[in-house]
Amino acid sequence: MHSRQKPSAPEHKRNLAAHGGALSMSHNDTRSFFNFSQLVLSAGHLKSPPVLKHSKITYFEVEILDVQSKKQICIVDKVPPSSTLLDVKHKFHKACPQWYPSRVGLQLERNGPYLKDSINIQSLAVSSIITLYFTDLGQQVGWTTFFLTEYTGPLLIYLLFYIRLSTIYDQVESRKNFRHPVVHLACFCHCLHYIRHLLETLFVHKFSGGHTPLKNMIKGCAFYWGFTSWIAYYINHPQYTPPCSKACFPSPTYNPFTWLFLLVSCPNYTYEVGSWISFTVMTQTLPVGIFAFLMVIQMSLWAQKKHKLYLKRFYPEVRRKAAMIPIIF
Amino acid sequence: MAASGSGGSRADNGYGSQQPRRRKGPGALATAYLVLYNVVMTAGWLVIAVGLVRAYLAKGSYHSLYYSIEKPLKFFQTGALLEILHCAFGVVPSSVVLTAFQVMSRVFLTWAVTHSVKEVQTEDSVLLFVVAWTITEIIRYSFYTFSLLNHLPYLIKWARYTLFIVLYPMGVSGELLTIYAALPFVRQSGLYSISLPNKYNFSFDYYTFLILVMISYIPIFPQLYFHMLHQRRKVLSHTEEHKKSE
Repeated sequence: MHSRQKPSAPEHKRNLAAHGGALSMSHNDTRSFFNFSQLVLSAGHLKSPPVLKHSKITYFEVEILDVQSKKQICIVDKVPPSSTLLDVKHKFHKACPQWYPSRVGLQLERNGPYLKDSINIQSLAVSSIITLYFTDLGQQVGWTTFFLTEYTGPLLIYLLFYIRLSTIYDQVESRKNFRHPVVHLACFCHCLHYIRHLLETLFVHKFSGGHTPLKNMIKGCAFYWGFTSWIAYYINHPQYTPPCSKACFPSPTYNPFTWLFLLVSCPNYTYEVGSWISFTVMTQTLPVGIFAFLMVIQMSLWAQKKHKLYLKRFYPEVRRKAAMIPIIF
Repeated sequence: MAASGSGGSRADNGYGSQQPRRRKGPGALATAYLVLYNVVMTAGWLVIAVGLVRAYLAKGSYHSLYYSIEKPLKFFQTGALLEILHCAFGVVPSSVVLTAFQVMSRVFLTWAVTHSVKEVQTEDSVLLFVVAWTITEIIRYSFYTFSLLNHLPYLIKWARYTLFIVLYPMGVSGELLTIYAALPFVRQSGLYSISLPNKYNFSFDYYTFLILVMISYIPIFPQLYFHMLHQRRKVLSHTEEHKKSE
């Protein structure tokens, strides 16, 4: 037939030799196809077929040891080289279902840092077996859950104190409904603050790491909730002392001239009125008297206005006082 | 404790090279200071011990011995506050929080209970914890002294890790009984308490606080006791093995 460059398979040689020249049609077809395939195969230099071992993908085996006891927990095998640590953790979870990936901490050395989930397995490997040390990071909780729990607590706890629950405060005192405006303002500000935190957690913040141990959540919640209870108890207490009650308006001090504050709201006008009347008496001059008279009227009006303002704002303290003239006015 | 030196060998891992950790012991100056400190404290507690014995022999009874050692007790127990600083500055490799907790509880009992509530000073429970503290501290400070000088007699080590089995419960009982005895006087005098209404909108009830302190002994005491028992097993059995192998 054709001249072949390469020796064909022994079978084929035998065929040719056996059949010689003249052949039937079917034989011809089969043989020509066979010859054609042999031609294709023997045409040109083909690469020598690679050794069987190198043509397979090298899978890695990950041996997982307990970090404390150094005992082997399990071997994760058939790990393709392109997989990440997270894939290994998932496989590990299948073998040991009690440890889901987010609570698995894997280290290359016993004192080393925990490896990130995104690390490629190939980069860790020195041979086809990789040894990793396992630490159980404990029950994990997602960051969103963590923050939502931590911030909802203060929001609700403060309100419980604000409505003055009967179990917390003495009911008789609580019924005296007078509450300083700052108490309402404080509740509003506090709630607004935590609502803002909750909205931030839901819509604004993006968390990079996935989870945190449950213990951290317990600690965080204990701190926030505990302090909120402590804060709210005092602000909403029936005996709460509002700010500025003594500092917002003048009070008597060691200075004897300030002692008039015990009797009047505006001793400065008292003293000035007294001065001008004394001056009139001293000089016995009518214009002085007219001036003094007008000043008395003016200052009385001012004193009355100020006294009314004090009565509105600091009722308990100024109840006993007069505006300008002790007892009378 | 051992340093892991091979951390940086794999360069391209995504987590960088790791510094080998080296535990630095105290330098020569720090060691000298610590030896001095521990010697002074040993001496101080010996003074208290001697004071107790002399007062007992002079009085003939063990009641109201507190007054004879009141001043050195206050001085040396308060001096233990320095140990918190030692830990904070790394001169001593202990946890700051743990040391602070232990020292503060002692100082609290010395000043805020025994000193502040004068009526309990004649109680026998005071003697109970003073004796327990004295023996414990003498052994502990001499243990530290000898350890620093690298010549620790086995007797001291044994004493430190064995006598606590009796002394610790003894001390705790004395402390609890003293606090309990102080309660009615605190309630009566309103000691260290502030009530509403006041400018700072704050209240504190020392009576309730003391009760909470007593309750806190329940979880804390067993933990510390079993920790010491565990330490005992580790330290004393290690020494035994060491002895046997020689």
